Amino acid sequence: MHRSAFVRTLRTIAGWLVVGAFFFPIYFWTSVAFRDAKDIFNWPPIFFGFQPTVRNFEQVFGISLGFGFGSQETVTPGGGNFYMGPRLWDSIVVATFSTVLAIVVATLASYALSRMHFRGRHEFVNWVLSTRMMPPVAVAIPMFFIFKQFNLLDTYTGVILVHGLMNLPLAVLLLKSFFDDIPAEIDESALLDGASRWTIFRRIVLPMAKGGIAATAVLCFIFSWTEFLFVLTLTQTGLKTVPVVSSTFVTSIGTAWGNMAALGAAAIVPAFVVILLVQRHLVRGLTMGSLKQ
Amino acid sequence: MSIAQVKRIAISDSPWPWLLPLIALLVVFTIYPFIYNVWLSFHEFVPKSRGLKFVGVDNWIQLWNDSRFWGALGVTFLYFAVALTIEIVLGMAIALLLDAELPGFGMLRAVLSMTLVIPPAIAGMMFLLMEDSQFGALSYLLGLVGLLDKATPMLATSSLALVGVLIAEVWQWTPFMVLIFLAGLRSLPAEPYEAAMIDGASSLQMFRRLTLPMMSRVIAVAVLLRGIDLFRVFDYVFVMTSGGPGTATYTVSLYAWQQTFSFLKWGYGATLSLTSLIIVMVMANMFIRVAKVRW
Repeated sequence: MHRSAFVRTLRTIAGWLVVGAFFFPIYFWTSVAFRDAKDIFNWPPIFFGFQPTVRNFEQVFGISLGFGFGSQETVTPGGGNFYMGPRLWDSIVVATFSTVLAIVVATLASYALSRMHFRGRHEFVNWVLSTRMMPPVAVAIPMFFIFKQFNLLDTYTGVILVHGLMNLPLAVLLLKSFFDDIPAEIDESALLDGASRWTIFRRIVLPMAKGGIAATAVLCFIFSWTEFLFVLTLTQTGLKTVPVVSSTFVTSIGTAWGNMAALGAAAIVPAFVVILLVQRHLVRGLTMGSLKQ
Repeated sequence: MSIAQVKRIAISDSPWPWLLPLIALLVVFTIYPFIYNVWLSFHEFVPKSRGLKFVGVDNWIQLWNDSRFWGALGVTFLYFAVALTIEIVLGMAIALLLDAELPGFGMLRAVLSMTLVIPPAIAGMMFLLMEDSQFGALSYLLGLVGLLDKATPMLATSSLALVGVLIAEVWQWTPFMVLIFLAGLRSLPAEPYEAAMIDGASSLQMFRRLTLPMMSRVIAVAVLLRGIDLFRVFDYVFVMTSGGPGTATYTVSLYAWQQTFSFLKWGYGATLSLTSLIIVMVMANMFIRVAKVRW
């Protein structure tokens, strides 16, 4: 009995230490966002107890928070070198619309894949899945030239299209696994009552799969929000998302670490949101439904 | 409703209208770029005329003789093998540790999964800051335990740069393995363990004889999904080292991208990216067959 209590205590401590080690970079980065330059470049590095400031956030987002722990200068929108307001907006637009695109196309397809039996269904699912294996660079290079021909470079349409397409395999497989969870007998009895497939889909299946669709949408949003290579390749000046501008903080006169960290800290906020919203479905999403929980 | 009527419904029930938008988009996204890539790999960009010129198999011959490509392939495989091994072993260990209802463990599992939704490019920047030799917190901590000499800039030292990138990689994606393995561990039946307990098996024996075999499918899925992503690594190397110092962290994806967009070798870039695609496809399909992964 004593030994078991000892083991439990030991295990609790080990668990907290391990997760603490993984959380440390997130803490440190967020703390850098609230520092003055002198507290960022100190050696040995400062881990706690620096004088906090919201200056970095004010510069990056072009807002005056007003309660700056002693921040004096006023900040004008669009004023600073690292004003990121438009970039956040780009990220939001791209992630939102590409998610809508992926979800609409994928719900239709995965309903058919879940309910209708046809020759080659298994091969079809495998084909959808195999598109996930393509290295993004093998898509981005031809896409650049195709987009150039169709004047889609540097446009919302182009990036939204590519991000929507990128998320399709995930969305299809995930939604199929959610639809598979709804008993097919419900559809069949409605069919016998004379309802059409479309009516059944809209009136019965969609409402029942709401939770799963929402979880899929959140995951698509996050994958678009974090995507790097396509935006880097397919945009020049017209739009840029947050991950892509992160590397532009490195300049010839040094890196604007404080501003960079403020942007990074803001980009971590979706991480909190997604964990709150879809924690239950996260594994299913990351493994594209291949491990049902 | 008669049986004949039911049958008629079933026959008229075609999946194709439902699948059409998906098929159209996937053709645009996969088949067309693929064909375009193949076509491009037989051409080369001529800066003077700003046009493409057919060059036959020149790009493929160049690839065969390009030591930088083979170096990049080596770096990619090294990165792939090291990261996958660490992430599986460490991920399994942490999953076994956290697979218990102890105070706060629910929250710990949630906190751990946060790393997965941070943009990799931003995670790379985080570690770029922390691995700086002048003021980086991680360099400082590694120096404290004697693993790193203070004067050594990790990411600018060719023997250490890949380690520096791998730290970011392992930090961000080990939690992915932990979550998958935890989901697997939670779905294991209790009876075999009870029987083994009665027979007096040690916990190590139970892990080797029960947990590992029953988890094999879960492990295979984790290896497949992570393996595909590892092989196409781009974000971390792009923001942290740009392939340097020298060619120490050049991966195939980064090399293909730079050839295309920095050096305007469009045809050669396409050849490189096509090669990367072929390697991933062959490896993934071999793995799916051997490990019998089913979706």
